[in-house]
Amino acid sequence: MSKTILKAVVGLIVLALLLVIPKYVESPYALHMMILLFLSVSQGQSWNILGGFAGQHSVGHAAYFGVGAYTTMMLMHTWQIAPWFGVWAGMVLVVLVALVIGSICFRLRGPYFVLASIAVAEILRLSAINLTTLTNGAEGILATELPAFKVAGVVVTDFSTKVPFYYIGIFLALLTLGITYWVQHSKLGYFFQAIREDQDAAHSLGISISLYKNIALVISAVLTSLAGAFYGIYVGFVDPPTVLGLDVSVQIMLICIIGGMGTLWGPVLGSLVLVPLSEALRSNLVTDLLVRGGVVSADSRVGIFLKENLSHAHVLLYGILVVLVILFMPEGLMGFIKKMASRRKQEAV
Amino acid sequence: MAILEIKNVSKFFGGLAANADVSFSVEEGSIMGLIGPNGAGKTTLFNCITGYYPPSKGEVIFDGRRMNGLDPDKVCMLGMVRTWQKVRPLAKLSVVDNVMVGALAHTSSLKVARAMAMEQLMVVRLEHRANFLAGGLPIGERKKLEVARALATQPKLLLLDEVMGGLNPAESEELIQLILDIKERGLTQMVIEHDMKAIMRISDRIVVLNSGEKLTEGTPQEVVSNPDVISAYLGESHA
Repeated sequence: MSKTILKAVVGLIVLALLLVIPKYVESPYALHMMILLFLSVSQGQSWNILGGFAGQHSVGHAAYFGVGAYTTMMLMHTWQIAPWFGVWAGMVLVVLVALVIGSICFRLRGPYFVLASIAVAEILRLSAINLTTLTNGAEGILATELPAFKVAGVVVTDFSTKVPFYYIGIFLALLTLGITYWVQHSKLGYFFQAIREDQDAAHSLGISISLYKNIALVISAVLTSLAGAFYGIYVGFVDPPTVLGLDVSVQIMLICIIGGMGTLWGPVLGSLVLVPLSEALRSNLVTDLLVRGGVVSADSRVGIFLKENLSHAHVLLYGILVVLVILFMPEGLMGFIKKMASRRKQEAV
Repeated sequence: MAILEIKNVSKFFGGLAANADVSFSVEEGSIMGLIGPNGAGKTTLFNCITGYYPPSKGEVIFDGRRMNGLDPDKVCMLGMVRTWQKVRPLAKLSVVDNVMVGALAHTSSLKVARAMAMEQLMVVRLEHRANFLAGGLPIGERKKLEVARALATQPKLLLLDEVMGGLNPAESEELIQLILDIKERGLTQMVIEHDMKAIMRISDRIVVLNSGEKLTEGTPQEVVSNPDVISAYLGESHA
């Protein structure tokens, strides 16, 4: 009992700290990093419900991310519909897309499902490129002017700083975390996990496989589309590769694989590792550190080589990291921590 | 009264008749044994009854209802549940969570499901393992877990596919006791088993399958003294 209270207190303190950060931190870059972190958490949690709990490893979540982002952006750009209304249209559309995808792909199991999920996302990406009248094709949609958000005529925010996005991000991360918690502690979570562990056994115990797979997919897809819409309005620009590309799907999946699939905190841990890491690699922080630490000099051939190439190598390093995690922590960071904890407990006994 | 009627069920895989024209019925409250040499079509028949395969021909009538073409989950909800010859624990869930999945077939409350699950774990005497991971149990306890999980769905008919396979004599004895206890509570059972001594002790009637066809049916005594059965198991010269 005291342990739950302790957890709740720690949780509330962390939440309170997160809520007051924008009051004291003014650096837009720091806020940007936090927003990326929240976005990553909500993406990861969304995928986790289908991939982690129900065990359906979709490599096509860019489809839902992209549909959410595109719908919201298109409505805002073409018809000047504010994103907080547009996002609902995106959610409805994503449910329809998910049910169509589900009815086709869930006939397949294991690797076949994975391939089908990739194919569907690719179809949407190619459609977005080619339906130029609707989506503006490969040029993408640029819509940076957000209308002011008003409640009863009073302007709450006009989105001139990153602060409102920060709070939307926190809200999304908490929403997905809350829904995952709810799923985990309900009949749904039990049924999803039963399907993951053994589909035939689950079927024999009265679980309608297609019904519950589709429920998992719809929850997962709707939450992913919310993240997509948020990404769209935050960045102010969407184009096919950035929201519908295969690497978006892979990125979403990696958050869970690295953090720990089918756990509540896995996607949070995964995000805490991946977001700073990819940012550090992208901005060539590694080279900077090596140079500053005197390991290599900036003018030497190695230094120049690193400077020129390391920032492009972030995908490579990412890949190496994934291989290492899969080899040494097959259950992700969360599983690794749990294993360590239980080992320590055993040693204590 | 017959709770399950199997009428002329056949199942073909291409040209192979895994079941050919099998008919029998199971009386409510009884234990029906299903025996036969390897490849006789016992598990295929279970799969036809529980919705994993649609029968190619014939009818399965359970509790007055035609079951052909129903999915396994519907079959379970109507009160017929099976266990697996090759056990299928939900490995990463705890023992009690495994049984709860079964219990959740008829309730949405985790609290109620947990209580029901603990009750079934007591029945199979596995309550001391409630919080262990199912994947870590030894085979004897996995078999019991299968039974508890099936019982938790509140079935009217329990189909046990070789629950004693791979067990040592002491463990088999425990399962025989368990099956008899379950019968005591009025639950109808159909049992596939290779252990002849066990099947003789528990069954009220026995159906013998051979090469997909029903060879004979009767009380355990009738079945073992039937020359056809002996020749099917031991070859012509012993009959």
